[in-house]
Parts: sequence; structure tokens; C-alpha cells
Amino acid sequence: MPEFKPVLLANVGKPESYTRKVYEQTGGYQALRKVLKTLSPKDVQEQTKSSGLRGRGGAGFPTGLKWTFLPKDHPGPIYFCLNADESEPGTFNNRILMEDDPHQVLEGLIISCFATNSAAAYFYMRCEYPLAYKRICQAVAECYEAGYLGKNILGSPYSLDIHVHRGAGAYICGEETGLIESLEGKRAWPRIKPPFPAVEGAFRKPTVVNNVETVACVKQIFDRGVDWFKSIGIPPDPNNPRDAGSYGPKLYCLSGHINKPGCYEAPLGITTTELIEKFGGGIWKGRKAKAAIPGGISMGLLKASEFHCKLDFNDPGKFGCLGLGTAAVVVMDETVRMVDFLLNSCRFFSHESCGQCTPCREGTSWATKMMTRIKHGKGRLKDLDLLLEIAENMGIMPGTTICGLADGAAWPMKNCIKKFRDELEIYIKSTNPSGWMETAAVPALQLLDIH
Amino acid sequence: MADKPSILTDEMIAEIKAFLPRYPSKQAVTLPALHIVNEKLRYVPLRAVVEIAQLLELHPSQVQDTLTFYGYFKQDAPAGRCRLWVCRSISCALRGGDELLDHLAHSLGVKPGETTADGRITLEYAECLGACEHAPCVLANEKLIPSVSHQQADEFVQTVK
Amino acid sequence: MPTVFVNGQEITIGDKERLNGIQVAERAGVDIPRYCWHPGLSVVASCRMCLVEAGKKDSATGKITMQPKVVPACQTPATDGTVFVTNSPKVIEARAMVEEDLLLRHPVDCPICDKAGECSLQDYHFEHGRKERRADIQPFTSRRRELGDTITLFVDRCVMCTRCVRFTREISGTSELMVINRGAHEEIDVFRDENGQLEFPLDNKLSGNVADICPVGALGDKDFLYQQRVWFMKSHDNVCAGCSTGCSIKVEENQDHVYRLKPRTNPHVNQWWMCDEGRYGFHHVHDASRVTEPRRLEKTGYVSADWSTLPAELSARLKKAGRLAAVLSPHLTVEEAYLLAQYVKSLDPTAVLALGPVPVEGTDEKFRNGFVIHAEKCPNRRGVERIVSSLGGELLNWGDFLARAETEAFGAVWVTGGYRTPWNDDGAVGSLANSKLLIVQDCFASPLWERADYQLPSATFAEREGSYVNYQDRLQSFKWAIRPPQGVKTDGQLYWQLLGRAGLYKAADVLEEIGREIPYFAAALGGVADVGVDLKVNQIA
Repeated sequence: MPEFKPVLLANVGKPESYTRKVYEQTGGYQALRKVLKTLSPKDVQEQTKSSGLRGRGGAGFPTGLKWTFLPKDHPGPIYFCLNADESEPGTFNNRILMEDDPHQVLEGLIISCFATNSAAAYFYMRCEYPLAYKRICQAVAECYEAGYLGKNILGSPYSLDIHVHRGAGAYICGEETGLIESLEGKRAWPRIKPPFPAVEGAFRKPTVVNNVETVACVKQIFDRGVDWFKSIGIPPDPNNPRDAGSYGPKLYCLSGHINKPGCYEAPLGITTTELIEKFGGGIWKGRKAKAAIPGGISMGLLKASEFHCKLDFNDPGKFGCLGLGTAAVVVMDETVRMVDFLLNSCRFFSHESCGQCTPCREGTSWATKMMTRIKHGKGRLKDLDLLLEIAENMGIMPGTTICGLADGAAWPMKNCIKKFRDELEIYIKSTNPSGWMETAAVPALQLLDIH
Repeated sequence: MADKPSILTDEMIAEIKAFLPRYPSKQAVTLPALHIVNEKLRYVPLRAVVEIAQLLELHPSQVQDTLTFYGYFKQDAPAGRCRLWVCRSISCALRGGDELLDHLAHSLGVKPGETTADGRITLEYAECLGACEHAPCVLANEKLIPSVSHQQADEFVQTVK
Repeated sequence: MPTVFVNGQEITIGDKERLNGIQVAERAGVDIPRYCWHPGLSVVASCRMCLVEAGKKDSATGKITMQPKVVPACQTPATDGTVFVTNSPKVIEARAMVEEDLLLRHPVDCPICDKAGECSLQDYHFEHGRKERRADIQPFTSRRRELGDTITLFVDRCVMCTRCVRFTREISGTSELMVINRGAHEEIDVFRDENGQLEFPLDNKLSGNVADICPVGALGDKDFLYQQRVWFMKSHDNVCAGCSTGCSIKVEENQDHVYRLKPRTNPHVNQWWMCDEGRYGFHHVHDASRVTEPRRLEKTGYVSADWSTLPAELSARLKKAGRLAAVLSPHLTVEEAYLLAQYVKSLDPTAVLALGPVPVEGTDEKFRNGFVIHAEKCPNRRGVERIVSSLGGELLNWGDFLARAETEAFGAVWVTGGYRTPWNDDGAVGSLANSKLLIVQDCFASPLWERADYQLPSATFAEREGSYVNYQDRLQSFKWAIRPPQGVKTDGQLYWQLLGRAGLYKAADVLEEIGREIPYFAAALGGVADVGVDLKVNQIA
């Protein structure tokens, strides 16, 4: 297999890579011209569907298919929301794209908006990315100057406005309906579905929500072709009728206990071992790996012995993980205590739970309190069973919550307790020698508020 | 009711109004309006919430409901001239993020969420800042400071006026 | 006609009906527990208590395919072939988990909480909850926070169902209530100033409803707070006498003392709501200044009269009085008005009937969902009007009657009141000065009362039995909720006796008579349903 050359990250590292001038030096906005001149929105939808592109935001839903859910012949307006709320722990690839190659994102966005007949695009950017915000705003201004935005783009009948909308520090704004509620000026409580955003979304109009990396892939598909995209990655697993394949290049965020943390591009399907060795420079400080998060903390954990898992849309599920997620790989070395990992995870989710539905609001809060008690030497073995029960019962997979945050909270709990049970039991027994065997409810610790 | 001076300056009101044509509803300008006020005043006092609500034809409760959902807007007093966000999510925690936060809390003499007595610095914890390749990292107002050691943190704090 | 299956039971629903799982299960006699769903508010499906298993039955093959996940019944439409299962192990476990979740941080306040006895959290814990507490979170008692004049909030009891917030946004349209913070730190509040004082309190005229819809004891009705335990009270269906909207209500009392009024569901009139004026407008029933002694004016002053001899005495005097007149208050029920009119006419066929003053305050107030508080502050103007015009030959209003009374010296005038607030003045006294005998039947003293020859203490709305006709020409019937205080004979019972009828006054029998005699009331024949009957139904012909 020929050595893969980065395409999404091709411009990153060049001086002033974020300017239109530099972007257009290597064929920038040619794809847009081609699309507007020669294709109809339906053509773009069909080609995107054929390419097998799956959303890069975490759920991996086939992008072209999602676009076809929009009602045909709707009087409009149709809105496009670009999800730049990237808040999944371990993830930073959207940031790099926006800071160092904003025009790639914008070109992909404009093409996607054309495909979906969107009248306006809301670029929802988390407020913790001030540099990305600056660069995107500058790039948008350059696009208006160049006629790539506004009325009658490049002389075509298509008009589009992009409005950059800043978030205010809430992970749940990354959930598509949470994003829409936040855009509308309300608290970001995800909506019940149906109705789906494609039917009734932002401002009660049909809406599509896509991730930053996804639209960057769209640009690449219309630059280099559907066949090119399909030549990269892994075709559907014949043993899994629900697998839609893992095509295209992927940005993998590598962080944690490795020598060279960073964002690396590889065809979908690279294994954790390869990532760490080829790109990460190996485990730091000469240590051995213990575990890794495969795709952002919501996806759960891989034990070191599972690092041969292919990081595509299909394999992580076989190892008990929730999925590929954002492909953010966080590596933990042998000195990490799983009790600390799990407490950090539970604390994150209880802090970010929107609070709307009971199992998530209470479950994440209860889990954090229990993990805190365990960490402080008042744990019991029975707690692990209770934590598992809480985790098994919350999420959209069992159907008990409105959105997938609860599933994200549950998977690290399930994976950690199942894969590292022995270690957790030893911790509990050694820190609470007199009480680890207790089965009755224990009085709560008077702890400082940890939220 | 006595005429209280307006918290929103004409400039802020103009900036907020400039956002109105971008959205089909006035309520959607809530977050932009909160950001505009927060940028200028370093907090969003309750009176500003009432004035924003008037501008957007909302009840103050609706604006306050939205505001308190997010962690970004202080309301009781202006934040320090530098708002120091220390990331505490997994990648940074693995590289000493929690300890960094503790260190700063100790050396600044404040708890996360509080401002130093001289008004220079507000220490905050943040969830994943999206700069995991630079863990542990700190966001100081608009500037991302990568791979912060305790010493570097202390040095940076010295530079804050 | 769509067929829906609930736990194996077949339920047929109407073609045009749009029902969810909870509503359809109700028809099957199955109560699906829920906190956040309310038929009058938007669906949010956030409490997750109504989780059930749902599926589809193929009408051709009979095969049932169930969805693998549990779904909220409140957001699952019941269409032809929909299958609901509410008692499977999966559902039982999901419910128990939600209930346990809500109890984790719930204060142990039952002994001091008003909602005990009618609390969803308590009820569902009994029916669907776990057998023991596994939580390691310390029990505590709730903080209390004022929201306005009518409602207080016990902050920590709240289960975040958001019914109250949705009520102020969707029903009253006033949006005072909000949720603050995020996640497990969420609380209900209203907008306050920098010192934490109320700046935009909960102060709309429908505010009392939020305490009704709160499924737990978080929102407390300050008027009712700590007054009475709900299990001691008996609930009686009644109709609000506050205005011409005529909300269906429940009067809740213990040992003939009314403690609170609550709305009763009536899709035609008030849906699930009532206004604060009506809700809190019952204290006059037990006011110390209420008149409770029948008295006769003699030369030496007022002397106590005896109810056992009074009816005969009144009849005797009225027979010889000459020209009679009766003023029928719009607070009387249709039956009471009819009986008094009948009585007076039986003594003097030329007797004049008039409608008492119709109190009007301000203008009609309309709310976001269409609910109206009417400016006409009496419950039965239409009903009494019709009695007056049918039996009296013409509709004479109070003003015109007083004018007539000045010139025509009536032999006797019988005035009925029953108003909550002062309703007559010295002018009225002056106008009736020429009348030889004045009988005033009322609840409170007034200028007319002080001039009466006979003072007859009257029933308030809670003690009456009969029917009112509201602004939509809807007739609603009710029975008495409490017995009147010692010394008061209800208007209905008095007229019944005066007419020489044996036994106790039965409004239903009188209504049958009225229905046969006066076409306007014909639709009430054969019995009146809980939600009343639209009298206009018969007016087309």
C-alpha cells in the first residue's frame, strides 16, 4: 500500500496557510467552482452518498444519506449548522483545521450548503477557541470579498450567508439538537426526536448539522473524486450487515502519555499500536502502555492488549467500545490508576450533563459522588456493581435518555469496571480495609463540592 | 421607578442590534449579546440582563435562564483582568492538569472561580480546551499557553498586570 | 377506527383522535406513571418515568415487532396497530431506576410537606420504586424560596419536570419562571436583583395553577400552606362563582370548613386551569362577619326569628302584602331563582321579577392559551336572566327595577344577594323606601340589610346546590360541598319549604321541571354530565 500523504492537513504548517492567497495557490476553491458550474445539489448529494463519507463528529452517520432526509420541494429557508463546538476530551482536530486551514473548511461548507439548498449557515464555534474564531471570521470576510459568499456566488444562482455564532462553554452544545437550541438563544437542552432536525430544526425549519472535519472531507471529495475517497480506508465488514464502511482519510488526535502528541492524518482503520509507534514516538518516559481511549472519552477504553483494534467505524465495537467517536486517542501508561481515570471521566460528565432527563442528571451525579467516596478510601466492592447498573441503564441505547451524553458517560464506566475490575477491587480493599465488604448504604462523606 | 442609568452603552446596543438581521428570531441574539456585554464589562450584571431582554423583546427570566446554563458568564462582580482557565479533562489530567490547578490556587491564594484581591487574575477550571497536544494547557483570556509547567505558570502570572 | 394494544388489551380509538401512549393506556385502565407530561402542556419527555415498550402489530400477519429500546409513552403516538407493553421486566426496571434517581437527592420532608398524600413521588415510590435505599447521599431538609405573593418554592424537592416553567411560557404567557444552572445544580427561580430580592416575581393571575401541576411538594400554595392534610379533606365537584367563565372546580373541605379550591378538568370551559381570584375567593365563606341569624324587625329593634316558624310567617305576611317583587341575584342557581320566582308568582301572579346587579370589574382578560377571566364577576347572569324574562315576562335589570320601585309602591320586595363584596348602597335603600315590606336574603350586612324587615342569612356558593349557566351558555350542575353555618338555611331549602314541597330540596328535580317549562334549558333534561351541557344545542330550532 503506497504511503498515505496527508490531504486534510496538507496546508498545515505552511506560512500564512490560513489566508485565501496561500489556500488558492494549491487549487483552493476550484472544487467549488466546478460544483457550482457543473453539478446540481442533487448531484452533490448523490456523489457524497456514493463516496461513503460518514460523519466525523462522533456518530459516524453517512453524510450523503443525512442530507437526503431534508424534505423535497420545501419552500425553505433551510439552515445548515456547522458544528465547531468540539468539546470531546482528547479531541482537537477541528481546532487545527480551523486555525491552520480555515478555507478548506469554508469551501467544504459552501459546497455542503449548496448540496442541501441551505439559505444560511450558522458556524457554531465554541468560545474556548479564540484563535480559530479570529481566523474563521477573517476567512469568511475574504470569501465575501472574493465572491465565494453572498448573493449569486461566482455568478451562479446560489446565494449563501455564513454567520459565526459563539458558544459559551457547554459540551452538550455539540449535540445536534443541543446546538440548535443554543443557537436559538435558549439553554442547550437537546430535543426529543421525532421531529428530526432535517424536518424541523433551527427556527422550526429543516436543518442539517455537520462536523468541521466532515465538510473538509466534502471539499476533498469534490476535488479529487469519489473513487479517490473510496480508495482510502476499509470497505464494509461482510460479517456486519449494519457496517457502512470506513472510507477516507481521518484525523487522529493523539495525546496523553506518548512522546509526540499531535494531530495525525491516516486512512481510516489504523490501529492504536501503529498510531503510537508511527506517529506518537512511542510511550513516554520509556514506560509501557496500560490503556487508551479510542475516540474521545465517550467511547470507553481499550486495554493495552487490545491496541490491535482498528480505529475505524466497525472494530471498536468488537472490543466493547461505543465506537470510533472523534478518533481522539488518549494513551495511559502503566502508572495510571484506573480509579483516577474513572473519577475524571465521571466528573466530566456530571459537570456537562444538561440536566434535562432524570437518568443522566442523577446517574452522572451519583456516579461522581460514588467515585469520589471510593477514591477517598470509603469504597465497597458492591459499589462497582451499582456503578455498572447505573451505566447499563442510562443512554439512548437502552432508550432511557433523550441524547447520547448518557451513553458517553456510561461507556467509560462499563469498560473500566469490566476491563480493570481486579485493579479497582484491589484499590477498594486496600484503601478501605474495614469497610470494603459492607453491603448496606453508607452515610455520605462530608466532601467539598467537586463540581 | 427612578431612572437608573443604562448599563448598556450606545455602542453595545448598536453592536447587539447589528446581530439582529442574521437570525430569524430575536431570541437567537441572546448569546451574541451576552458575549458583547461580557467582553466590555468582564461580567454580565443582572441589570444588563434586564436591558438585553428589553432589546430582544424577551422576559429577563428567559435571558437569565440561558445565561446561567453556561459556565462562561460571571454575574456577581467583574472577572479579573486576566481570566485563567486551567484544563482538567483527561489529556491534561494525565499530564498534571489537576496539580497545576492546585498549584495556581495555592500560589494565587484563591479557589477556582475566585478573583485575586488585586483584581488581576480570576482562576477557573475548564473542561477540555481542545489543545490536548499541549497538555497541560491554560487559556489566559484569548491566549493559549501550551505545556505549562508550574514554573512557567508562576512566570506567566508575574507578567499579568 | 384504529386499534391499539395495551398489555394485550385491544382498545379502539376514534379516527380523528390524536392520543399518546399514556392516554390510550388510561382507556385500558392502566396508569402509566409520569412527572413531566401534562395534557395541557408541550411534550418534553424529560422525566423518563413513562418509559414503556412499544411496537407494531402487523394487521395482515398478526406478527408483533417490538422496538428493542424502551420509549417514553408520552411521545409515542397511538396509531392503528401500535402495541404498548407497560408491565414487562424491562419497563419495571427502567421505572424503578428513574424513581430511585429522583429520590437520591430528594429531601426527606414528607412529614412537613403539604403534598404528602397527593404526591406523585410518594405514590410512584410505593407502586414502582425499589424496596430499599441504596444511595449514599445524606438526607436533608429543603431550602425555601419565595417566588411571589401566591406561590412559595421548596427548592430541593423539585424534580425538574419543568411543568411550571412551561406553564408560565405556554399558558399564562408571562414567562416569570425559569431554570437556572446546569445538570444536577438546576433549580427553579424567578428573576431577582443584585440583592436576591424579587424583581420580576411570579405574579400572573393564573399563578396558583403551578402548585396544582407540580407533581411533588416543591411549589407550595401559600394560601393553603400547612392548613390541612389532604387525606382529611373531602373533595366535592362544584363550579366557581367568581366570574362568568364558570370554571369547573373542586371544593375541598374537612368538617364543613373549606380549605382550598382546585380546578376540575373540563375541556369545554377551563381545560385544567382556574384563575387566582376564583381559586382564593372562598375565604368569605368562613368570614367572621358573615350573617348567620334570621331576624325580624320590630318596633324595639331586631329580634331573633325561628326557622321553624319563619316560612309560615313569611307566607302569611306576603299573602296580604299586595304587589310583590323579587330581585333575583346572578349568584343564585337556576333552580333557586326558579323556585323563588315560582313562589312569589304563586302568591301574586302580577309579581315583578328583576335581575340583581351584575358586578363588572375591569375588562375581560385573555391569556396566551385562550383562557379568559371575565369582567362579569358572577357565575349565573345568563341563567337567572332567563328565569326572570321567562317567568316575569320581561327582563328587568337592577337599575330599572329601582326606578320602578320609587314610583310603584310595592307591598313587599324580596331581595337576594349572595355577593362576595359590597353590592348595594344608600341610594338603593332610598329607592326602596316606599316598599312596605323588605326581605333581604344575603351573606353579609349591607345598607339594604340594615333596613330590612326580615333579615334572612343566605348560603354562599359552597353551600348551594343547583346549576349555573356560564358565558358560553353552558349549564353546569353541582351539589353542596359543605353545610352552612348554624343559623343559615340555604336559599334552595327555604324556597322549597315555602312552596310547600315535602322533604329536602333536590336541585335535579327542579332542573327537570325547568327544562320542560323553559325551552332555553331543554338540553339539561335527562341529567347533566360532569362537564355540563351546551344549552345552545337546542336553540337552532
